[in-house]
Amino acid sequence: MKIGIPRALLYYNYFPMWQTFFEELGHEVVTSSPTQKDIVNLGVSSCVDDACFPVKLFHGHVIDLTDKADVIFIPRLTSVSQGEFICPKFIGLPEMVKNSVKGLTPVLILDLNLHKSEHNLIKAYIAMAKQLGADSRKALRAFRRASLRQKEYEFKLKSGYTPLEIINSKQSNRIIKGGKVIGVIGHPYLIYDSHASMNIIEKIRERGYNVIVPENISDEQIEKQVSNLPKKLFWTYGKRLLGSSFFMLENKKVDGMIFVSSFACGIDSFIAELVQRFNSRKWNIPYTMITLDEHTGEAGFETRLEAFLDMMKWREKSGNYLSAHGASLYLY
Amino acid sequence: MVITFPHMGPAYISIKALFEELGLKIIVPPAVSKKTLEIGTKLSPELACLPLKINMGNYIESIEKGADTIVITGSCGPCRFGYYGIVQKEILKDLGYDVDVIILDPPKNGIKEFVARIRKLAGNNSVNSILSAVFKAFRVTEEVDELIELCLKTRCREINKGETDRVMYKFEKAIRETRGVSEIRRCIAEYKERLRAIDIDKEYQPLKVGLVGEIYTLIEPFVNLNVERKLGNMGVEVYRGLTLNGWVKYHLAPDIKFRLREKRILKKADPYLGLCIGGHAWQTVAHTVNFADMGLNGVIQIMPFGCMPEIVAESILPTISEQEGIPAMTLIVDEMTGEAGYQTRLEAFIDLLRQEEENKKNEYKKVLSWN
Repeated sequence: MKIGIPRALLYYNYFPMWQTFFEELGHEVVTSSPTQKDIVNLGVSSCVDDACFPVKLFHGHVIDLTDKADVIFIPRLTSVSQGEFICPKFIGLPEMVKNSVKGLTPVLILDLNLHKSEHNLIKAYIAMAKQLGADSRKALRAFRRASLRQKEYEFKLKSGYTPLEIINSKQSNRIIKGGKVIGVIGHPYLIYDSHASMNIIEKIRERGYNVIVPENISDEQIEKQVSNLPKKLFWTYGKRLLGSSFFMLENKKVDGMIFVSSFACGIDSFIAELVQRFNSRKWNIPYTMITLDEHTGEAGFETRLEAFLDMMKWREKSGNYLSAHGASLYLY
Repeated sequence: MVITFPHMGPAYISIKALFEELGLKIIVPPAVSKKTLEIGTKLSPELACLPLKINMGNYIESIEKGADTIVITGSCGPCRFGYYGIVQKEILKDLGYDVDVIILDPPKNGIKEFVARIRKLAGNNSVNSILSAVFKAFRVTEEVDELIELCLKTRCREINKGETDRVMYKFEKAIRETRGVSEIRRCIAEYKERLRAIDIDKEYQPLKVGLVGEIYTLIEPFVNLNVERKLGNMGVEVYRGLTLNGWVKYHLAPDIKFRLREKRILKKADPYLGLCIGGHAWQTVAHTVNFADMGLNGVIQIMPFGCMPEIVAESILPTISEQEGIPAMTLIVDEMTGEAGYQTRLEAFIDLLRQEEENKKNEYKKVLSWN
């Protein structure tokens, strides 16, 4: 059977695991084509208007798969870590797709909820394997292999690669010695989708900067950073963004930070606010936020990026300049 | 310690009752107005949801009146509401307001912390007096709910249009003048009598419309542009999917009967959405199906722009509408919502429902005519 995995949302987090799991069970895995204009259009026209851009993209990728695959894999990840959740739209994703896309190919749902206990991970995968007609022994073996692959993948991520470099195995290590570093913070499904994010990572690298992303920061560091918050942050991916950006800022790992968010992203609206406020209070590192959606024009995007990089340069040149008017002409 | 809290529809009456019973000084935030919204929008993150912005406006207005402690409830996700307190605290801190923010999270994440916070709030009160105050506040919530229910039944049937609105306007003025639980209850009882005294057309068969959606937008009249009043004055009887009283009974009060009833309704959502995805999306879906079973003419979903759980419900609604045969419309509110456009959409929707109702009545004529 051909199982289709949409190249959107959590694809960037878990693709190696899912691919290995299905292949070990003896199925063929197909992915939707990389995001292009027509996939965006398909998604936007089928999904409800108020959803965020990445969810619309997911719809587009599902439609792209309808002819290519026998069954489309849609994960429903309620929670990927004990006591935490991820975005509500992810939890209702299968329902959203089923009700918005007409003439849908049968779907295969992975019901993963680790909110109560992390042991549910194996159970969820075995339950899914049973839907595909595999017995528990075979499922267990596939699961073990898959989680091994996933661990390997996550290990590589920590050493400074981006997910796409690993998945496509194009690991050119292009760290520029002595170059300035820019932290690009954003959800994986946004910053690694080269169409949606206008290829932001490549664009920054082309201008001679190094890029680090939240995936490069270890979980322990992230946990340490967010443990100072007055209340436990209950979004796993929100926590990753907040913790990794705090880590980068506090340890001066970056000379500038760009927060890439999609319009109407509920989680980012809070996370970006906190990062911005803490940054201006404690660290004062150049920071900007770029909001993307299906209407974003590339020219405007480039202008903002260039303006930010220019600002960083000016600051380096005249950052220590004290105005003759006093501490500062402006109130900061 | 002068306490304030976010304004949320009629909730201020119960919260006022609770704190006054405990002998604490409070400042009831002024009713939400354009000014509140303006302050809130200016200070809050651009893409945050509307309730957060309005809360910010409430806080500033109350702080200006002398409040120094803010009490809000919390939750543990996945809806954004759970993190309101933290973000709001940081914003207030940057603005230079030195206020205490007490977040009452559900006790499952550390009972010690919860008890400590209650202690901090309650001061010298004994456990007994706290419990009795809480139960009195529950009772007030229930009575306010009965008043609103009565108001919904009366408004669409009244003979002299506008009479119910006048009574409710006076009620809102009077309730702010009261002190303590017994005065509040007397005031509610008095206005219930006044509502009952209104002349109504007993023969009139109103259209029935259910309201579902996000709880804050449903019960705060400023945010939903007084949808209950607008519909009532069009001669439509409004049924509410979520009420403050219902929320209290489901989450706080040990009301088993109500919980079982609510669970039964939630079961109806199974074919469409079988689990809680945060916020009130599950309830939205379930109550829509329930309203269809009750034979209502239509359902209106109201949500703030960008509400994560309700977006999922919104995408499911057309399917329910098709399969259960109940017309549904989604209204999204934010700081940019214009009243005129909103009114037009409501009127158009009601016109459609009315036409359908007429068609149903005239079904037999169709058979006789040529079309």
